[in-house]
Amino acid sequence: MRLVCDGLTYRYPGADHDLFSRLQADIEGPGFHALFGPSGVGKTTLARLMAGTLTGNAGGISAIGLERILYTYNMERLPGWCSVGKHLDDVTPSARVGDMSPLLDTFGIRECLKAHFSQLSLGQRNRANLVRYLLQEFDMLIMDESLANVDERTRQEIILKLKQMFPSKSFLYISHNVVEVARFCRQILVLRGPGKSPRLVKTRGLDCRNSARPETGRLNRTMLEIMNVS
Amino acid sequence: MFLRRLYQFTLVYGLALLLLLAIKFFFGLSDYVIPGPQEIWHTARQVSGRYALDVLNTLQVAILGHALSIAMAFAVGIVGRLTSWMGSMIKTAAFNIQAYPIVAVAPIIFILMGDGFSSRLLIAAMICYFPLLLSILGILSEPVEDIEHFFRMTGRITWRLEVRIRAFENLHKLTTVIVGSATLAVVGTIVAEFIAASAGIGVSIRRALYQSDLSKILVALFLIGICTSLYLACLEWGGRRLMRRWQAPVA
Repeated sequence: MRLVCDGLTYRYPGADHDLFSRLQADIEGPGFHALFGPSGVGKTTLARLMAGTLTGNAGGISAIGLERILYTYNMERLPGWCSVGKHLDDVTPSARVGDMSPLLDTFGIRECLKAHFSQLSLGQRNRANLVRYLLQEFDMLIMDESLANVDERTRQEIILKLKQMFPSKSFLYISHNVVEVARFCRQILVLRGPGKSPRLVKTRGLDCRNSARPETGRLNRTMLEIMNVS
Repeated sequence: MFLRRLYQFTLVYGLALLLLLAIKFFFGLSDYVIPGPQEIWHTARQVSGRYALDVLNTLQVAILGHALSIAMAFAVGIVGRLTSWMGSMIKTAAFNIQAYPIVAVAPIIFILMGDGFSSRLLIAAMICYFPLLLSILGILSEPVEDIEHFFRMTGRITWRLEVRIRAFENLHKLTTVIVGSATLAVVGTIVAEFIAASAGIGVSIRRALYQSDLSKILVALFLIGICTSLYLACLEWGGRRLMRRWQAPVA
């Protein structure tokens, strides 16, 4: 299971400069990985290129052993004509129905099932959206700030549950939270601003699999490393 | 809503009538040019029964023409929302035809089809069809990315789902467009009747015009206004019911 960007070049139509020029990136194996970097650096564009929702790039993106890459972002909405529960029932493949219950509990949205999407808080909306993606067939799920507006404790519970429930899947988590990224992610792709070379640097996170706090020194070193390369 | 519409129209009509009478008295115009209140009242008592039937006849054609144009606009709009050559051809054709005054074509329709029901229906439908089509095309061509994305990613998107999402998200706009085009349907029918038809309130107005009888025209306008207001109120009420049924209250 490997996703490789080999000499990826992309320029938005009408733009003067390439956003990415001969970018190299590599994510290997299942697990919880991260794409980190300052705002506006092109994380979403890179994620969309990886997922195939954005095209027009030069250079290759190879997905080896990743047949189905899904991309979700935090502004998505569920259709308003039915309740959240009805929508989840409609879009869950029969083979995945058994996974719904533990996800609803971990994500804390069981009480929202009868409500319509417009009646949920921002955090509940993001969680409901993420649950429906997790109930699909996928090999890699790119989560573009999918846990924004969710409190820290619930975020931690969700990430740990994902690692536990989907050990053979790959996640690419886009977040600005350096502590979370350093603590829970295995491979961290740090996308740097234009003018820096190389544009993307890969570093390793602590990949914690339980709620026990890691040794402060290790966590600080990892965070420092991420911040230094970004 | 219905009573409010009637009340609003009656108020506007009353003000317009008062203005007309003020002009009459200010400039000292004869009853032949602008009839006095007594004559208007007398004419109203005489012709309102017959005119009410004429207005209902006109409204029947207008509603049918309106329904026909809505169905056609949705059917063509669904095809036209595609980004293919067919879609862009429909958009260009609709835009150009819409710019042409349909009323100018009405005499040709009467020559070819006669002065019966079908000519009136066709003109009413054509007059409100093109503005409706352009609005519906615009609404159905605009992706609702934050909802459609999931269905696209998971391979579930179908044209029916796409249309449903876009129509649902723009229900308020669609209702406004349909209500707005209803007035065009009524206007189209009356204009058609005024030009050459053999039935409807437009024919009565044409006869009153030949007789230079302004009081008959004023009575006809009053009845047209009342009936059109009720029809618009019915459409608004239907749109609100649909929205209440489909949409949950925002938290």
